[in-house]
Amino acid sequence: MAIAEDRRRLTTRLTVLRVSIGVAFGLLAGGFWFFQVVQHAQFKEMAENNHQRTLTLRAPRGIIYDRTGKLLVENRNSFNISIVREHTKDIDRTIRIVAAVTGMEEKAVREIVDRHRREPSYRPIVVVQDASLSQVASVMARRLDFELPDVIVQEVPTRQYPDEDMAAHLIGYVGEASEDQMQADGVTTGSIVGQFGIERVYNKLLMGEDGAKRVVVNSMGREIRTLEEVPPVQGRRVQLTINYAMQKAAEDALRNYGYNGSVVVLEPKSGEVLTLTSLPAFDPNDFATGIDRATWASLNTDKLRPLQNRAIQGRYSPGSTFKIVVATAALEEGLITPERQVFCPGGGTFYGRFFQCLGKHGFMDLRHAIEKSCNTYFYTVGNMLGVDKMYKWSEKLGLALKSGIDLPNEGESIVPSTEWKLKRNGERWYPGETISVAIGQGQLSVTPISMAVMMATVANGGTRVVPRLVKAQDDGNGWQPVTHPPSPYAPFLLKPETTAAVRDGLWMVVNGAGTGRRAMVAGRDVAGKTGTAQVISLQGRDRARGKTEQDLRDHGWFVFMAPKDNPEIAGVVFAEHGEHGSSAAQVARHIIDTYFAQRDGQPLPVLVPPAPAAPAAPATPARITAATTAGGAH
Amino acid sequence: MFERRLYYHIDWLLIGLVLAVCAIGLAMIYSTTGGAGRVYWTQVYALGLGLIGMAVAVSIDYRSLADKSHWLYLGMMILLVAVLFFGEVRGGSRRWIDLGAFNLQPSEFAKAMLALMLAKMLGEERRPALTNTDLVIACLLTAVPFLIIARQPDLGTAVTLLPILFVVAYVAGMPMKYIYAGLVIAVLAAPLAYRFGLQDYQRERISTFLDPSQDPKGAGYQQIQARITVGSGGVTGKGFMEGTQGQLRFLPVAHNDFIFSVLAEEQGLLGVLVALGLYFFVIMRALDAARLAKDRLGAYLVLGVLSSFTFQVLYNITMSAGLAPVKGLTLPLMSYGGSSLIATLVGFGLILNVRMRRFTN
Repeated sequence: MAIAEDRRRLTTRLTVLRVSIGVAFGLLAGGFWFFQVVQHAQFKEMAENNHQRTLTLRAPRGIIYDRTGKLLVENRNSFNISIVREHTKDIDRTIRIVAAVTGMEEKAVREIVDRHRREPSYRPIVVVQDASLSQVASVMARRLDFELPDVIVQEVPTRQYPDEDMAAHLIGYVGEASEDQMQADGVTTGSIVGQFGIERVYNKLLMGEDGAKRVVVNSMGREIRTLEEVPPVQGRRVQLTINYAMQKAAEDALRNYGYNGSVVVLEPKSGEVLTLTSLPAFDPNDFATGIDRATWASLNTDKLRPLQNRAIQGRYSPGSTFKIVVATAALEEGLITPERQVFCPGGGTFYGRFFQCLGKHGFMDLRHAIEKSCNTYFYTVGNMLGVDKMYKWSEKLGLALKSGIDLPNEGESIVPSTEWKLKRNGERWYPGETISVAIGQGQLSVTPISMAVMMATVANGGTRVVPRLVKAQDDGNGWQPVTHPPSPYAPFLLKPETTAAVRDGLWMVVNGAGTGRRAMVAGRDVAGKTGTAQVISLQGRDRARGKTEQDLRDHGWFVFMAPKDNPEIAGVVFAEHGEHGSSAAQVARHIIDTYFAQRDGQPLPVLVPPAPAAPAAPATPARITAATTAGGAH
Repeated sequence: MFERRLYYHIDWLLIGLVLAVCAIGLAMIYSTTGGAGRVYWTQVYALGLGLIGMAVAVSIDYRSLADKSHWLYLGMMILLVAVLFFGEVRGGSRRWIDLGAFNLQPSEFAKAMLALMLAKMLGEERRPALTNTDLVIACLLTAVPFLIIARQPDLGTAVTLLPILFVVAYVAGMPMKYIYAGLVIAVLAAPLAYRFGLQDYQRERISTFLDPSQDPKGAGYQQIQARITVGSGGVTGKGFMEGTQGQLRFLPVAHNDFIFSVLAEEQGLLGVLVALGLYFFVIMRALDAARLAKDRLGAYLVLGVLSSFTFQVLYNITMSAGLAPVKGLTLPLMSYGGSSLIATLVGFGLILNVRMRRFTN
């Protein structure tokens, strides 16, 4: 009986076990069904996120050429070292190792990571841009050891400027997109966009389209194979209007004679900019892979302001070059004829005050007044014109306001008028002020680019152009001219006798007994005008003597066109602290010489370094000391 | 000893089912280790050794084995203690004895030994009904190997001894009140055990099991990856050697603890159901051996061996789906591991032994 009961109990309990096991297996099957059928889509996506990685393939930016086909900007390959936090187990450890391996400060690495903390974790955070080969090698070694599965090394195209700081302000530089730029350019964080100059203005053309590569990675983050690859599309090739030889000639000449400053040369008919330079400059290569703090700080604190584009942002008193505007205005308004004579006894009295001339010129007509830069003549003519007529013609010729060049942050050139003064100071205009303005002194301040436009308008005999920097672009299907909006300025024509008289006068400045003889190029009929921009008034200079280390020497201007009768080029040289316009004229000579030599297929001119100057005190240039602020116009 | 007529009573169906599971395991090991490499061939050799071990376990009458069970038990305890002192240290624990050609993990064999010992003690025909003394002795017999193995430390394997005690005692007629009392005590003692009885890493495993997202890169990682592995397999799977989670090592020890996850990934729900079905039929078929056994000793021996096996299968598969805390418990017959495979096959040898001798005196 006991055995039978025993049997029964065993059978019962065996059945319990059997049922329990059956239930357990049923539940398990249900669990797998739930994960593999009900939640399959979600887990499938998670698995793909695990092992598939989409890498951005940076599009190389478009290559930039000059008008002759010479390469100005290209790309090279550099290496970025980045952290992908998606694979990170311990970010502190990763930061520590990366810092140690790359020789960076741990704090600096942490700062970079913190700055990008809110971004999706699959997006690489670039810790080292343009890593050195040894940095790349040591990171790769750690990756092979599985020590840094969350650190990747990417090859990226990087901007390269072979001529370093040449035309730096014009070409500009690139850098990581800011928040606003990400919106404006439709790019993601970490993208490189233009920040300055042509790189910024024509960023859309130059940028290209990033590609993408979908790869399979293992749990160590190592790429196993590529699933799909959309190659990047390089940005468009862009051809500038710049003439490399002239650009180089301009910068070489300024350096050769020891000046900072600016040069702008235009093709008058089209407004194409052949040369645009500003010195001192910077090296855009420093920005290409993220500028380091020290370089950035020194560029920003440098008293010479290398980041300023003097050509469009520097504003200076035009000095005697303004006489071109006064002469043109007086002739066009019919107030004088070119033959009208004015007697110069060495100055003149206007509104009860004596205004100085630099010589006793005797009887002067317009041509000779321009040649000799006779102040008395222009005091007289300016007085006849009045300030508002002078303003009107400044604006017509393109000297006032902005030139409209396709570069950002252009400064506005100021030529005063009664309205302007009323608005600015709430004061009426005193006729005596007109006399100073007539020789380019007083409250005039103009940019080199607007000077160049003014010269181009005169060279054209009336048509005012808008300076343009881009000639053509190529999206891979051949060069296409870039169309610019038409000039907003109503075309007008100067009277032929106006143009002839002014050009004659300017020719005589260079080829006669004028102040611009240093710009003479035999057989090229250069016409031009020097000017001196006072840095400080003469009384101020006396007061400041010995009390300041600032350079108080005057600036030199030279505006020009060549050849006189059918100008092919027109432009301006601004020699900072050049003391006199003839210092700028010698720079212009080299540029003009280069232009014609290149045009005619002759060897380009070579600069001769100037003889070492006599150790004269530079702050006391030979000049006639006069008791008037309007004294120093040559 | 081995009479010719016994040959006709060998349960070829059970052997076939077991070998089918082994074959799936070998295929998955092949897949996860990238072909017929060292791991794969080790498993193949272990399978061969296991079959020899099974043949040996079948051929000796389980009753003669049971008669010497106290000596075998004692020998096993000595071996386990020896491991503590002379064993190979790997991954921070001392579980293996270096035999030159391969390493032996004695704790795997302790299961079958304990089943034999308990079956002998509680199943002797001449004993009357189960007494409390019997239960205490059974508990002590279990506690000794449990504590030694837990000292290695290998809590996972140690825990697989408990189902043996529980199931054998249960079928031997342990009063239901003890079972209920045990459940109540377990519920009450769990928080205390959690606080005082476990190591930090063990506590961490349990807490991350309850909320894997609190540490998705650390302790919760394996669990999350296990679910992704299983879930991404879908109905038909990604294909043999086409899995991404196992192949690309997002899931650790894929050929070992998580081999079932890889099966789920590469063969999908269909593969899972086939494997689950095979395990289920293996267990049901083996339970039959217990039902048919000639004596209580045989029935208890079968149940003892089977309980440990079943517990490990259920736990491992649950863990493979990310539904149980991650423990170093392998899936018997499928996971890579020579000692486990050999010991399991020897265990099935004992089950076959009992069934085969159901008509003999």
